[in-house]
This record gives sequence, C-alpha cells and structure tokens, in this order.
Amino acid sequence: MNDIEKKLLNEYVLNQASINSRRHFLKDCTLGLGGIAFGSLLKSCAPSGSPNLFGGERTLNPLAPLSPPKLPKVKNVIYLHMVGAPSQLEMFDYKPELHKLHDQLCPESLLKGKKFAFIQGVPKMLGPQAKFTQAGASGNWISDNLPHFKKVIDDVAFLKAVNTDQFNHGPAQLLMHTGSARFGRPSLGSWATYGLGSENQNLPGFVVLTSGGTPDAGKSVWGSGFLPSVYQGIQCRSKGDPVLYIKDPKGVSRNLKRELLSSINEINYQEFKAQEDPEILTRINQYEMAYRMQITVPEVMDIENEPESVQKMYGVTPGKESFANNCLLARKMVSSGVRFVQLYDWGWDSHGDSPANAVDLGLRNKCKEIDRPITALLLDLKQRGLLDETLVVWGAEFGRTPMQENREGRDMGYKGRDHHGDAFTMWMAGGGIKKGVVHGQTDDIGYTAVEGKVSVHDINATILHLLGFDHEEFTYDFQGRPFRLTDVEGNIIREILS
Amino acid sequence: MNSKVPLFILLFLTLLIGCQREKAVDFNTDIKPIINKKCISCHGGVKKNGGFSFLFESEALGNTEEGSPAIIPGNSQKSRLIQRLKEKDLDLRMPFEKPALSEEELNLFTKWIDQGAKWGTHWAYITPKKEELPKIKNDSIQHFIKSPVDQFIASKMEVQQLSPNTPAKKNILARRVAFDITGLPPEERHFNAFMEDEISYENFIDSLLNQKTYGEKWASWWLDLARYADTKGYEADRGRSIWQYRDWVINALNTNLSFDQFTIDQLAGDLLPNPKAANLIATAFHRNTMTNDEGGTSNEEFRTAAVIDRVNTTFDVWQSTTMSCVQCHSHPYDPIHHDEYYKMMAFFNNTRDEDTTDEEPNLRTYNAEDTKSITDLLEWIALYGDDITKKSYEDFLNFNEPKYHLHACENVSKGTLITDGKRLGLWNKGSAYLRNVDTRGGTRLILEFNYPKSGSQITIRNGGPSGSILSQFKLPTTNSKNGNYGEIISVPFKALNTKVDLYIEAQNNSLSKPREYIGILNWVAFLPELPGKSKIKYPAIEKSFTTLINSKTTRTPILVENPSFMKRETRFFERGNWQMPLDTVASDVPSILNDWDMEWDKNRLGLAKWLVSDANPLTSRTVVNRIWYQIFGRGIVSTIEDMGTQSEPPTHPALLDWMAVHFMEDQQWDLKALIKSIVMTATYQQSSAIDEYKYRLDPNNIFYSRGPKLRLQAEEIRDQALAVSGLLSPKMGGMGVMPPQPDGIWEHRYLGNLWKESIGEDRYRRAIYTYLKRTSPYPSLLTFDAGSREVCLVQRLPTNTPLQALVTLNDPVFLEAAFHLAKSEMTASDIDGAIRSIYYKATYSEIKSESLEVLRNLYQAALIEFTENPEALEQFLDIKSTTLHHAALTMVANAIMNLDEFLTHA
Repeated sequence: MNDIEKKLLNEYVLNQASINSRRHFLKDCTLGLGGIAFGSLLKSCAPSGSPNLFGGERTLNPLAPLSPPKLPKVKNVIYLHMVGAPSQLEMFDYKPELHKLHDQLCPESLLKGKKFAFIQGVPKMLGPQAKFTQAGASGNWISDNLPHFKKVIDDVAFLKAVNTDQFNHGPAQLLMHTGSARFGRPSLGSWATYGLGSENQNLPGFVVLTSGGTPDAGKSVWGSGFLPSVYQGIQCRSKGDPVLYIKDPKGVSRNLKRELLSSINEINYQEFKAQEDPEILTRINQYEMAYRMQITVPEVMDIENEPESVQKMYGVTPGKESFANNCLLARKMVSSGVRFVQLYDWGWDSHGDSPANAVDLGLRNKCKEIDRPITALLLDLKQRGLLDETLVVWGAEFGRTPMQENREGRDMGYKGRDHHGDAFTMWMAGGGIKKGVVHGQTDDIGYTAVEGKVSVHDINATILHLLGFDHEEFTYDFQGRPFRLTDVEGNIIREILS
Repeated sequence: MNSKVPLFILLFLTLLIGCQREKAVDFNTDIKPIINKKCISCHGGVKKNGGFSFLFESEALGNTEEGSPAIIPGNSQKSRLIQRLKEKDLDLRMPFEKPALSEEELNLFTKWIDQGAKWGTHWAYITPKKEELPKIKNDSIQHFIKSPVDQFIASKMEVQQLSPNTPAKKNILARRVAFDITGLPPEERHFNAFMEDEISYENFIDSLLNQKTYGEKWASWWLDLARYADTKGYEADRGRSIWQYRDWVINALNTNLSFDQFTIDQLAGDLLPNPKAANLIATAFHRNTMTNDEGGTSNEEFRTAAVIDRVNTTFDVWQSTTMSCVQCHSHPYDPIHHDEYYKMMAFFNNTRDEDTTDEEPNLRTYNAEDTKSITDLLEWIALYGDDITKKSYEDFLNFNEPKYHLHACENVSKGTLITDGKRLGLWNKGSAYLRNVDTRGGTRLILEFNYPKSGSQITIRNGGPSGSILSQFKLPTTNSKNGNYGEIISVPFKALNTKVDLYIEAQNNSLSKPREYIGILNWVAFLPELPGKSKIKYPAIEKSFTTLINSKTTRTPILVENPSFMKRETRFFERGNWQMPLDTVASDVPSILNDWDMEWDKNRLGLAKWLVSDANPLTSRTVVNRIWYQIFGRGIVSTIEDMGTQSEPPTHPALLDWMAVHFMEDQQWDLKALIKSIVMTATYQQSSAIDEYKYRLDPNNIFYSRGPKLRLQAEEIRDQALAVSGLLSPKMGGMGVMPPQPDGIWEHRYLGNLWKESIGEDRYRRAIYTYLKRTSPYPSLLTFDAGSREVCLVQRLPTNTPLQALVTLNDPVFLEAAFHLAKSEMTASDIDGAIRSIYYKATYSEIKSESLEVLRNLYQAALIEFTENPEALEQFLDIKSTTLHHAALTMVANAIMNLDEFLTHA
C-alpha cells in the first residue's frame, strides 16, 4: 500500500467513525446557535436508525460527507469536456495511412449501413491536418497542435477506441454525462455528490464551469434527474455573480447581513421550540451555510490574487471567461474540497463550414486555448500532491470522421469532418490510473475500433470504481425500480488502472 | 364481564395459533416480495436465465430449458426450484452468487408450492371496491371523526396507539387551506370573515374553490405531468407557441371539467365528433413532447421518440405504471409483455406530426375579422358544393391538414434536403420524387415555400421526367404576411384518382451562382375545387381563401389523426431500437388491465375511454393518491409515480380504494369535490405540531396524527412574496412572461440572449405564466425544486438547501417585495406597531413578544448601520430617496420573508 492509499484508507476509517459518532452532525447542528440550550434539540437532531443516505445527518445536511462502500482511489474528479467534439485525427490518433487516401472518394464499403449527421452521398477522404511526433518516455504519439501537452503525456492513459451510438450533440452529451441519450437521468457529478456528499460545506459539492457557451443539451447534462435537486451541478460563472444571488443586495453590509441572519435563525429556533419540527433545524443550518458560501465562493473564484507565476503557468485572463481560467479554478476548487468539477469548453464542432470550424485552422486555435492550461492543471495538481487523489478526465460527446464533410452534397469551403461516434479518443489521468498507457486501437484510417473498444458506460463504470463505487450496486430507487448511471451495461476498464 | 376476559383471550390465542398452522401462504404478500428482491433480476422480464421466469404464471409453471417445469404445484419435494434453493453446491445454489434464502423464506416457498403454488394478482391490477368503513372503539378518537376519510385514518391511528392532534388555530388553518386551494395566502376580507365567524370553514373553502386562482395553482401540478414548456427542447431549444394549452388547463380546472372528460379531451379531443377549438387545443397535451431542430437529425427518429414519450407519459400520468421499461423488453417485474408496449404505441403512432421545424399540425386561431371571412367562405361552399368539400376546406383552414412534408422526397437531383429542418431545396433544373401520394382527386395544389427567387418555375409531373404535367406554376415573390412561416399558394392541379409518385422539377435559368436554390419547398396538400365558379362573387371568394391561409394566426401544435389513406403501420422494435423494426402490431391495451369494450373505436378516443372506465383499476387510484400527495406531502402509496409490484404498499389500502370508488361513482370524477372532501377532514385540520412521543413513533407522519406542514412550492414562494407586498398582478393567460432574472442566464451560443425582460405588470405575474425554457428554466423556481419539464414529472422532491436561502435573501425580486411590504407601514410612528403589522400581513399570525424583540433589534441595528454609513443608504437596493426608516423596515420585512413560518404552511 503506498502513501496515498494509506491516506485514503485513513480518511475512510475516520469518516466511518465520525458518521457513527455523529460528530459532524452535532457540529453542524450547533453552528450559529451558540448560547442556546441544546437539551431537546439534540434529541431531535439524532433520529434513530442506521446511517444511510437519507437518514441521520443527511436530513439536516444533504451534503454531509459519506464514505463510499469500497476503498476509493480518488476523492475528486475534474472532467474536461470539449463541447462539439474535437477531431481525434488532428490531436491524438495518428493515422499516416489516411494521408495516402487524401482526396480520394470514400470506398462504398465504409458507407454501407452507416448514418451520418451531415455527410450525403459519397464524400472524399481527408488526410490528417497536423504533424505528429512521439513524445515522453512512453513514446506515445501526439500532434504538434499540442506542444505543451508533451510534458505530461507520460501521466495520462489514452482510450483510443471510445464508442458511442449517438451522433447528434445533444443526445450524445446526455449519454456521456447521464448514461442516457434522453432527458431525465441524473448526471455523473450528481451521482458522485449524492453518494459522497461534499468535503467542504461552504462550497457546492458539484461545480460546473463553462467557457464559450452552454453545451447543446443545456443544463440537463449537470442536472440531478430523479435525485433530489440538491445534488445538481452549480454553475459558477466568471461574469456576474459567481453563483446566482450570492452577492449581498446593494447597501447591505456583511455586518447587517450577519444581524439579519441571526434574527432569522433566532426566530426560527423559537419556532422550533414551539413546534419541535426538525425540518426547522435543517433550515437554520442551510441559512448558516448560505452565509458562509457567500464568503467562500467569491474567494475561491478569485484568481486575480493567485501568484503571477501560477497565472502565467495556466495563461489566465482574470475577469474574462476562459478555459484557462476554468482550469485554474478547477484546481482551486479541488484543493478546497469540491467533489466534482465539470468543465465545458465550447467550439470544437469542426464541420469545415467556416475558418473557425476548419480542422486546419480553427481547430489549431482551440488546441492552443487548451494546451497550456491542461498541461498546467496536471503539473499543478502533481506538485501539490493532489493528482494522486484526483481523477482528471478529458473527452467529448463523440469524435469525427476520417472523411471530409460534404453537407447537402456540397463542398464546404473549408476542411472539416462530420460527427463520428464509432471510435474516438479520450484520456484519464490521476489517482488509480496507469501512467503512459494506450488502450484501444482504431483501424488504419481511424474509422472503427480494432481492439480495446470501450463504451460510454465503461467510462462511467470506471470513474465510479475509482471513487469507490461498484457501478452495479450504486443505485437509486425511482418508479419502483433501482436505477444506475450505467443502466444495464458497463465494464470497468481495468487495462488503464494501476 | 371480568370472568369472560381470560376466556376470550384464551379463545383468541387458540384461534391465532390454529390460524397460523393452517394459514395459506399468499402469493402477493408472502412470495412476490421475495421474488422481487432476490430472483426477478435474473428470472424476470429482462433476463430469463435457464428459460425460467417469475414474471407470468405461465412462465413460472411452464417448462424451463431443461424441458420440464421447475415448480410442480402441490409437490415441493419434486420441484427443482426448491432443490436449487437448498442446493449445497455453490455453483448451482440459487440465488446465484448471492446469499442463500433464509430458513423462513425457504419455508414460505415450500408451503406455497405444497399448497398448490397459487398465483395472485397484484392489488393495483384489481378494480377497487368500496370498502366498508372501519369501526372505531376509542371514544376520544371517535369524537375526532368528521368524515368517512377520518374514520379510516382514525382506525389505523388507534392500532398504532396514536391519538390525533388538536385542531390547528383558525388563522393557521385558513392560510394552509388557502395555499392548498389557490396557491396564495387568503385575501384579507375573506380571511377576516372566516376569523370572525361570519362564514363557516366550508363556506371559506367553497369560495376559495370558486376563485380563478384555484385553476392557476392546480395547473402547476398538471403541467408538470404534461411536461408543458415554452420551448421545443433539444439542442437550440427554440421557442414554441403552446401557451393556449396552459390556459386551457387553467380554464378546465376553473370550470371544473370532470376528470374523465379532461382526460378524453387531452388524449383524443380531435377524434370527438365535431371537435371545437378547445377540444383541439386540449390535445396539445401530447404535443408537449420535444422537437429536435438540430442540423443532421432524423425527423423520423425524433418523431418516434415523441410517440414513445406519449406512451410512457400516458402510463405515468394515468396508470402509475412505468411503461418505459417495456420498450426494450418485458417489464422487469410488472406483468406486462414486451409486445404490449408496441400495441400501446400503435394508438399513438398515427398522428400527422413529423418532428418538423414548424411543429405542424398547428391549430390556427384567427382574429375576429378573419373568423368572419371563414364563416362566409364555408357558407359559400355549403351553398354551392357538398359537405365533403366543406369539411376539407374547414380542416385545411383550421390546421392545414392533410399535407405531405417534402422532407419525405427521394432521389433528389440538383438539389438537396436542407439539413436544418429537412425541407426540399432545388437548384436550377433540379428534381425530386415524392412517392406514393394520394391526391384524393384534388384539383388544387397547395404549396408552402420560403425564399423564392424571382422567375422560379415548378413543374409537377406524373411518375417521372416524361410523365404528363399535373401542374406548372411560378413561385410568387410577394412577401407573405405570415410571420416567420412560409408563403402558401393554391394552384390548379390535374385531378387523379390513384396514388402517384410526383416528380417535382424546378427551373430558373437566371440563377448565376452554382447550387443556388430556386426557393425552399416545405409541403404540399390537395383540395377539391372551390365550388361556385360561375358566380360573380367567385373571384372574391377565391382571393379570400388565399388571404386567409396566409394570414397571421396564433398557432398551437395539436394532434390530428392520419386519414385512412395516410395510415402508418406500427412495428415491434427489436430491443426498443427504432432502426430494427420487426412485425407489425395492432393497437391494444395490456391484458393485465381492464378489458376493452367492443363499442369503443380502436383509436385514441377508445383508449381514453378505457382509461376512465370504472373498470380501470389504476386511473382513479392514481388521481386520488396524487391529489392526496399534493395536500399531505405524501401519497397513500408513497411511491406516487408507481403502483406496480415494486411499489410501496399503501399505508391505508382500504381508504385508497374507498376514495377511488367514491371519486368515480359519487363524485363523478369531480376534482373540486375530491379536493374539498380532503380539506374538510379532521385529519387535514389538525395542528402540525410534533411532540417527541409522536416523532419517535411516527417520524414521517404516515399515520396522520398531526396535520400537514409543507414547504411552499416554487411557484407559491414567488407568488406569496408578490401577494403580501401588494405587487402581484391578477392578469390571467396569454404568452409566457419574462420577469427579471440575472444577466447571462439565457445566453445561447448562436441565438444570443433571448430573455427580453417584461415591462409593466407582466413583471409581477404569477409564476405559472413565467416563460419556461427547458434548457434554462427560471433560476429561482428551479432552486425551489420546480422541474425543467423535458419529460413527465410526477413528483417534485422537496429540498432544503443554502441556494434557496440565497434566493429569498438576495434575489432582487424578493427584496423589491420586502421594500413594498415595508412601504405599507411607512407612516407608522410606533416601530413595534409597524413590525407587528408587517409580520401579520406576511404570516397571518400575531407576532410573539420574543420575536418582536429580535426584529426590533434588527431594525435598530439597521438604523445604526445606515446612519453611520449614509453611502449604504444611498445605494440601498438601487432605490433612490429611501428613508432611513424605510430601509431599516425593509430589512425587517426581508427577515420575516425568510422565516420558516413564511416559507411553509404550518
């Protein structure tokens, strides 16, 4: 057992003990109520029954931290989703054979029985629009679009043959994050916070940061589905209030706000003494948490006061909305105990209908936008000793075709690729992940998987496994049956586990 | 008496022991729970390992893969089931790789088989019967009873050794019931009349039920089920005009349309004889499904997705049954066969909608002048033509059907099916086939198109490029007055009496750019000749028709059934995959439920009648259970979305059945009567106070020995703040409104910010009228657990979170309300009096002296703060010229509007 595993085991044991002794519970219960006699309060504070997700302290604080059923490898997740689906063929999946086929008509055999979002008739093949080199001790291939990433290439495990059956953005994003292409299921981050609670009661447990725009499927990709809404992702924004309504109203000082809070809680406590309804105690607790969040959230969202070296390392631009800012924020969040940080970066839909959507133009800029920050994120987590207890996932809703898009049978004007879910690249890094490995392989043109094909459910099963859950056992009863994130599928991808 | 007691007990004990020895094992209560917990996941509707399943009697008692049955009724020893349960070899022992059954469970199985392995039907699939009212022994409890409902409740309380709470104070009860009926605090005058005994509790309730605000409150409940929203969902999530349906629901509730008719109108209003506009608008219930405009999506895929959603929603809403499971396989544990899903789907699979961008068919609501012209036109047709012609024109004017969407075109040459929305775009000399078209002998071709280029000519031929010309015309380039919709023209067409393939040709030699569209063609329809051609007024009538079809109308997506010549076949999908269709199926209902009455047509209308037939075991139970949930915060069956075999058993089964039958037979599906009968009970009128004894015995109040105390619903939280501060607008109906929300919530990458803040009273409308964008619902409502309405939502899970506190503390909407509430006491010179009065206005209760003290302190702290810091006062809430006194009182009002007492109904 290495140090990090020992540390996690220790925390696991401690956590279990604290649940049993209900120390957290009492602590939360007493917050902000100093000086009040607690005789009857404590009795109601601790309803009988064994600790479970909805009994005990969860009644008072639904985000109270819980231990997973199994020994976890990581405590936190940072999930980087490139909205629109970047081309794996210009980033990670090196296909020299595709060069040779460039501009030739696509063989009929590749088109038979296939459905595309936009390609009609017979398209031409499009050779890779980037140079590739081998990097790191692993010698894994990477395109020159990502020069910085070469520094951390030995830390990540590549999945080169990820498969999804959805080829439209909205449904594919939903499938990736909720395990279902239709609306109504909880997202991965909500499952994680539902199962584990939050380490920091002054911050949301599941934070969403977007750059460039909201994903096509909207807020449902971080929704809580049929789980209680307290487990949905909270969007922290770079513009306006970082969390909605977190700023005190104009002209109301912190002092006055404290006075206001105390008055509300005091009267609510009088009401509790008269009615003995424990829900009132929950409310008192929530108001105290709100007050603390008002201080903590703006603090953690402030990157201007980070050392200049750190700002440079990520390439942040304080005050603006950017992927680089979000990467730094993700690191800050995780070090403050946020369980799940979900980043969405918009603008990867390289159809070739404009320079910005061309795989040889706009895509390069997008790569530039993420290359330094992602590298910085991994290095920064590592130097702080956080990478061992954090899982970093990079991916998208699907990948892109080796064929050039010919929407409505026309030449697109720029080089672009259509949506393609048969085989695309994702990677993971951090606790429990084997370093520098490649799992899965596509054919010579990067069109289909030839080995190591993994599904969306496999990825989610693996993430849950690293967090300490058996994805088949981690269920929530709804409509009379247990639901899971992975539906009836999913196998842990053991090949990338250390 | 005394000597008889021991004898009685002795007798009772003997009987009890005797009973236990002889007791028949009951499949439903003893066996099914074990099966559901330990067996069904491998031997049920999804997996049928070893060819053995517990789902249906025939499967459980039939041959397994071993060629013989695993259960032999009457002989447990020979039954392989028992052998395998007791097996020593762990590779063979069942449940496989799981702990063995307990001794007790094994005994039950053994006895059950020995007693003949009698199968049982789950309670919810048996038509409810009116149970007898239970007897109550305890006098004090007897005294409590005010209605038959109380009798059932009291009888259970008695068993649990609980006694009811005292009645709630009048002011608390008045506020509670006002929220439960109208979603608002009571009106002052009305409240005072009740407090001063001028009117009785029953009168108070009756007048609440008669207020229009009743429909607005209960519509939220129904619109969650109907998945009503003002946008289409999916990627771009563009707007949809369907608010007339929301207003229909509010009006139907207010006019107290009986629930059976409410059901029929929504599921099949279009199939009623001579449907009125209201019947058609009601069918928008099932047009609340999402429409996908994303480029590259298949219209047929998302049409199918919508039909599937209609099946699932119908069962979620009326049958408390999770039909969605059956799309891919037999139900995992409820006895519904896989093919029965597709038989259900066949009822819904024959409507005209095809996931098109304009969401056709739409009911077009004309203005008064146009309505008059339509009457004139139809009178003209009646005078000179026949009924069929009149009906064709009437339908066409009402909802532009039947029509053929050109996204169905094939073999497109020199042109393309436009990706966004799938319409036909042809270039110069382009062509396409529209196959298998039945023109019904029509002599008028109606075409909708967009973006015509000057000089573009369309030729339509019979069968192919060398076929005879059926119609030839130029696309006019005049601007349509049709808003965002295309222009519609009516041109002569050669009558045909057989189905044809139409060959559509386009020509415009003046187009210079390659691949330039001559125009975008949306759909075609065919009508008989407008009669009365020889009459003088004919040209005016003809012109009137063209003007009418192009006039600007309010459009509401509705259901329109396919005419017989456009019927779709419904096929069974392998594992629920629409791309893997197998055999065709005919519409039918699941065999486990009530029988089909042969008098009903086998269509949606028949289906609606089947649902509200007295024999249906689930509809009435479902409604009663859910109305109960709305009022008590928990269902008699606590899993209110499901009454299937995995549901929680009812806490009061006899009450549920009694109420279900009472609702159908005595109350005749009258929703107001049902609600009234619940709020009139003594059970409802109890105080909600909890003492330690009761809390320990019944923490969740499942035996109702205290009254309900619910956190107000999302809509109520907002509406109450506006109501008590005097800001609430009473305006009803119309398009969704956009009250203030923080900037940047709605920004869409390429559509921009479409939230156009409402002005005037529209900022202060009830929450039910707030524009609901599925991918970005109004944030403060969402925080208080309202849904995004992408799919049917049966139950909002109430939560209590810090984000809610941030809304009521900091959202400008709530501060504005606090400011206005404080304003009403601006002139008061006595601070205590002002606080007392604000408190009373907000909570309908007198303030306690210790609370007053706290708020007086807050007032003073604010006063000091604002005196010491005049800048803060200057900036206060961005409201200029605030006085010290007003600002400090606003803080007090803000505190009051955050109290538990304010945010809940006690």
